[in-house]
Amino acid sequence: VVDQIRLWQLENERMRTTAGYLFRDFESPAEFAALTAYAEEIGVLVWKNEKKNLFFVSKYEQLRDYLKSRKK
Amino acid sequence: MPRATGGILIECEPAIKSIIVHLDSVSHDIIIEDLDEQHLLVRPNMVHLLKQKLEERLKETYRPEEPLADSDG
Repeated sequence: VVDQIRLWQLENERMRTTAGYLFRDFESPAEFAALTAYAEEIGVLVWKNEKKNLFFVSKYEQLRDYLKSRKK
Repeated sequence: MPRATGGILIECEPAIKSIIVHLDSVSHDIIIEDLDEQHLLVRPNMVHLLKQKLEERLKETYRPEEPLADSDG
């Protein structure tokens, strides 16, 4: 039983899950930079990778509105 | 226009990640995107099952080869 408890702790400490959205297919490095900066500013940026041009946010609504406003 | 894909981001150490990748290799229904050596995007409905399988796998991995004696001598 002690071992089972220890394993539970092991797993919980070793793996963190966050629900959200993966963004991809940016028009330019500038768009990627602007969006990740904005996501970081509003506190929704969880992970990003410049080389792969991907980032993950916990919420997308504000980013969607931000994108719409930039297109006008 | 960028695209957004919904899912669960898993952050874990490489050893745990390789177990998840191996579990996914059987039916390819867990991982949406392999992000880097410590991050994966997975299907939300598979997280519960994934945790169960990971637990089973960790038990196997860490099980001592010889049963531990009850007495401490």
